[in-house]
Amino acid sequence: MNIFVIFGMGGAVGFLSGLFGIGGGFLLTPLLIFSGIPPAVSVATVTTQVVASSASAVVTYWRRKAIDLKLATILLAGGVFGSLIGVILFQVLQSVGQLDLVISLSYVTFLGAIGSLMLFESIRAIRRRKSGVAPKARRPGQHNWIHGLPLKVRFRRSKLYVSVIPVVALGAIIGFLGTVLGIGGGFMMVPALIYLLRVPTSIVIGTSLFQILFTMAAATIFHAMGTKTVDIVLAMTLMIGGVIGAQFGARMGQNLRGDQLRLLLALLVMGVGLRFAVDLLLIPEDLYSIAIRKGAGA
Amino acid sequence: MIHRTFLQPFLAAAVLFAACPPSGAQQKNDLVTSLSSDVVSIQSNFTGTEIVIFGQAQNIERQPNDPSSLDLAIVVEGPPQDITTRRKGRFLGVWVNRQAERFQHVPSFYAVASTIDIGAMADRDLLDELGIGLNHINLAVSGVSNVPLADRDDFRKAFIRLREETGLYSEQETSIQFLTDTMFRTNIPLPANIPVGEYKVKSFLFQKGEVVSSTEETLAVAKIGFEQITFELAQYYPLVYGLLAVGLAIFTGWLAGVIFRRD
Repeated sequence: MNIFVIFGMGGAVGFLSGLFGIGGGFLLTPLLIFSGIPPAVSVATVTTQVVASSASAVVTYWRRKAIDLKLATILLAGGVFGSLIGVILFQVLQSVGQLDLVISLSYVTFLGAIGSLMLFESIRAIRRRKSGVAPKARRPGQHNWIHGLPLKVRFRRSKLYVSVIPVVALGAIIGFLGTVLGIGGGFMMVPALIYLLRVPTSIVIGTSLFQILFTMAAATIFHAMGTKTVDIVLAMTLMIGGVIGAQFGARMGQNLRGDQLRLLLALLVMGVGLRFAVDLLLIPEDLYSIAIRKGAGA
Repeated sequence: MIHRTFLQPFLAAAVLFAACPPSGAQQKNDLVTSLSSDVVSIQSNFTGTEIVIFGQAQNIERQPNDPSSLDLAIVVEGPPQDITTRRKGRFLGVWVNRQAERFQHVPSFYAVASTIDIGAMADRDLLDELGIGLNHINLAVSGVSNVPLADRDDFRKAFIRLREETGLYSEQETSIQFLTDTMFRTNIPLPANIPVGEYKVKSFLFQKGEVVSSTEETLAVAKIGFEQITFELAQYYPLVYGLLAVGLAIFTGWLAGVIFRRD
């Protein structure tokens, strides 16, 4: 494929990620798949690209000291474990020829669910703003079942006293999904940290980014060693395009309203999910496919 | 890109002329072949190339439609691979891979050129034995397969078709050109995606359906420079490759974070 097209795709997704304040993996991986790059290569290479985009943001949060290192480290331990399981599953699916199907089905499910949730939430927010009713304030002191679990640890930075079980589990689930689907998972991690663990919003993004950076670094290494589908040249092209695009996106994002941005993002996410669904349901152009299993170029 | 200069084919031809004494001095129907280059180097800007095969057959006296005339077939074969061919079917409304057939030790690259239609050169058994022609490649299947017997041929056809679409398999009948009565040449295109390894170039001289002479040469396809470094790292030192990818990514991200500092 043309290197400038790939650079452009990296730039476009980088722009959107800057605009919406997201990692962009869940847009970049589908874009690469739709443009004909094998799904396995797309997923593994985007894990590398996510390392670069989160590193770039982590620098800022590190400087502001908006990272809970203890929380991030425990999340990360779960994340590395989840990522390892992800690569093993990836290889098994590849050998039985069902990897592409599982990637597509997962994208349909996740993007469909998250897209519709975001759509309803943003429409409600826009209506509320127009009708002038103030949104209900969150009650941070509220507890849920998670706070009843054993093995509690104190996280001073986040002002939390919570069991490590949900923290490790959350890290593992996101590490697993990120490794199999080629996404950072920030769009799942941030709400989970806020609503399930009650991590303060000022800490949540930096902590999430820090954990994604190192989980995706582990995913890259596992993919390089296990599936051998990481393409350094492709990743470099994407990340350079991405970090430049993100700067323009971030500047533009400052002039748009939050709820409008979320509505746009919701439509985008649902569009990508729909595209995967259509590809699964329409009669394929070619029923046959080949995969090299052993020998030259395997 | 081919390693040597563009003069190479002509030099090869000149050498052939010099090497072949006047007819009669040698045994009849001797076949001599030479490649324009015995190394194909793949660099970052490699977009495919072609290899020129020159040769001379003593007393070839080609007469179209004359069964006693001599005919040539040249096969270029890449190193072997195991390849699984899969077919999608509908399952709960969704198109998924259902049946699979694994072909073992099939060539990763296959190109054949000939003077006449391959089917007219020899009988089917001999072509199968020598592997001359896309319909005569030995596609051995593994014992484990969920493909119904009646559909096996569809899988073979689909496999050959998919390989043809990527340019890795090709058949060019009547593409061997004669420069003189006895000297011939042909071009075999090598696409950008050719796998690396040791290739075989086999030439067969047929007369009345029998092979009267044959030659075999080797062609090395190798990556060089940056392509070679990344390829070998990824293949043989995957941990280093992974760490390198992560290192480059963190550096790129950090650099961008510093350059575009907003606060």
